[in-house]
Amino acid sequence: MLALLKLLQSMVRALHSEGTPEQVAAGIALGAALGLTPLMSLHNLLVVAAIALLRVSVPGAILGWLAAIPAGFLLDPLFDTVGGALLLDARPLEPAWTGAYNTPVVSLAHFNNSVVLGSLVGWMVLAAPIYLAARWGVSRYRATVHPRVVQWRVVKTVRASKLYNLYRLFRP
Amino acid sequence: MARRRVFRWRAIVPLLVFLTLLVLVWLLLLDRLAERGIEAAATHLVGARVDLAEADVRLRQGAVILRGLEVTNPDEPMTNLFEAEEIVADLRVLPLLEQKLALDTVAVRGLEFGTERETSGAVVERSPESARVARQVSAWADALRFPSFSLEGLGQAVDVGALSPESLQTVARAEALVEQVDAVRSGWDRTLRSLDPQPTIDSARALVTQLRQADLGRLGPVGVARLVSSTRTTINSVGELQQRVESLDDMARSDVAELQGALRGLSAAREADYAYARSLLQLPSLEAPDISPALFGEAAVGWIKPVLYWLGMAEQFLPPGLQPRRFAPSGRTRRAGTTVTFPKEGERPGFLLEHGEASLELGGEGIEAGRYLAVVSGLTSAPSLYGKPLRFLIERTGAAVGPGDIGVDVLLDHVTTPVRDSVQARLGGIELSALELPSLGARLLPGQGTMSLSLERVGDALAGRWVWRSARVTWERMGSGSGEGEREAAQVGSGAWAEDFLWRTVSAIRDVEVAVELSGTVDGPSLAVRSNVGDAVAQSLRRELGREIARAEERVRAQVDALVGDGVARARAGVRELQGTLLEDIGGPLGALEGVRQELEREVERLGRRLPGGIRIP
Repeated sequence: MLALLKLLQSMVRALHSEGTPEQVAAGIALGAALGLTPLMSLHNLLVVAAIALLRVSVPGAILGWLAAIPAGFLLDPLFDTVGGALLLDARPLEPAWTGAYNTPVVSLAHFNNSVVLGSLVGWMVLAAPIYLAARWGVSRYRATVHPRVVQWRVVKTVRASKLYNLYRLFRP
Repeated sequence: MARRRVFRWRAIVPLLVFLTLLVLVWLLLLDRLAERGIEAAATHLVGARVDLAEADVRLRQGAVILRGLEVTNPDEPMTNLFEAEEIVADLRVLPLLEQKLALDTVAVRGLEFGTERETSGAVVERSPESARVARQVSAWADALRFPSFSLEGLGQAVDVGALSPESLQTVARAEALVEQVDAVRSGWDRTLRSLDPQPTIDSARALVTQLRQADLGRLGPVGVARLVSSTRTTINSVGELQQRVESLDDMARSDVAELQGALRGLSAAREADYAYARSLLQLPSLEAPDISPALFGEAAVGWIKPVLYWLGMAEQFLPPGLQPRRFAPSGRTRRAGTTVTFPKEGERPGFLLEHGEASLELGGEGIEAGRYLAVVSGLTSAPSLYGKPLRFLIERTGAAVGPGDIGVDVLLDHVTTPVRDSVQARLGGIELSALELPSLGARLLPGQGTMSLSLERVGDALAGRWVWRSARVTWERMGSGSGEGEREAAQVGSGAWAEDFLWRTVSAIRDVEVAVELSGTVDGPSLAVRSNVGDAVAQSLRRELGREIARAEERVRAQVDALVGDGVARARAGVRELQGTLLEDIGGPLGALEGVRQELEREVERLGRRLPGGIRIP
């Protein structure tokens, strides 16, 4: 157990170095892919790899993931419609789908499912707005809200606790 | 200014560790995942629960071993369609990277059919495909109407007073036809008023008179040419009007033909009303073709329903052609959506079983004891890609006791359209299930007998024959029966009389054959049921009740005729009158137009002949 914790700690330490609003926003935008699209999909492995390898905020990605999960479920009917239209109604795209479906490994990505395809396209469309909104939000938070929040008694209590020390491990 | 670094190279090792852990977890859970996946996919396909005790996936050896497979019969959730102790499949690994399953060979051990389940295998929500097929088959079965068969009530006075005009479709149809005639008549009145050919006819006639009285000397060549030109203009306008009237004539004839067709439909409606009125009186038919469906119709539907269900499922899951196919995936946490497969020429199908074999041995000393072999080849989700039809065979390879008269040969050719399916099955010397025949008040215990099915399907057309036969049947009375004294005292038409009469008739029959003929389309085939039991009952009925039933039928027909007669007569008169009016209103002007046009042409020609010195009319 201790070895596993140490491994986790070393991984987190290796990932923690940047924390600009841009990095947090990029993390949130990438993490949103994990929540908006079905998690157990091949493309999400690439997203995880991107979160790990690019200098983006990992806690930001986790935040983006958690925040996007309910949105993903709520938007599923829309994703289904969009994906269905792309798969079944867009005749010019049919050769591309046929090629992807019959290509090893690519077909494992389940792009031939309307929800997977629709949600992925949805995330691609939303990624830039999410990034911009998150960057603005983080900047505003750091400039106005954060200095006041750290003065709250409850926050001071939490920051003095062991739980907060654990959280710091994951802070960029 | 320091260059901002984009990559976090130190994360490569933790990422690789994470991916390795992921692969290890996947490998550890592979058997469980395969088990769940097979259960979900097969449940989706069958439309009832499929349970698997264990799956053992050996990727390096390219093999999958399944143990304890139970496939529920969708029609009987407490019974398994079949159960297999162990299935060993040779698997091609590379197609798995394309999410495709290709099995070279499959061997099945410990196969048993029709075993009982401990828990129900019904599913709360069937796959859309199987639910659609089940709905279609149920709708077909529900829509079938077999004549009822009951002798009770024969002795009652024939009461035709219960019939009302509202309950007869002929009355409603005749009223609708009268309204239709009125609507057509007013439409034509408006059309003919707006057309009004009379002024044109009158003007043309005046011109004919003017031509006849024309003085050529006084008119001179120029005047004659002007007169001829004006006459030709009139001939053209008369000709155009004539064409319009002719097209109206065609339309009128078509309207009249439609109304006459509706009039003929009243005869069919009247026949249906006779049948309806007759059914209210519960008079039994004396014709064997009516009695057999009444006796065995429900049982026949029960036999045919699974056949139609599996034909429908084969159509759903083994479609011809290379068009994208959609289906609803199962077992997803998120919305399932629609999964579309895109078959491509030269590529592998999504699922392919090249060759599968199952051998089974039934022990004991029964007639069914022996060794059997089941072989399936070319089972694929894309027959057009595989290029060969699906073949399924069951044969008895060794009989311990009794005749080896068991064989099933199924050929589903969905490689191209139209699809061609053929099913030949013969199960001889098997224990047939008892049939309850409430309308006869008896239970038929067939013992050992023969069931055979011969079915051919080409495109949507279906033709088949199911024969159920036993030569040593016994009968069991369902009611209590009446004693000798009671039987003599029983009135014709009373329950006791009917029960005894039918029992006397059928209890002597030892050899029973029921033949079910299927024809028509796959979506709604027609069913014809014939049986020697129906023949026997019909003969007995004719002997004992023929005259009485015929008299009652006559009264029913007379009552229906009285109720529908006025309406039909009004409809017939309306159609006849409209036909006469239209012929007169259109035919009259048409004849007048033709006549005046010919007269004008004749006058022009005569005018030409009267001109002196070879002057020609331009």
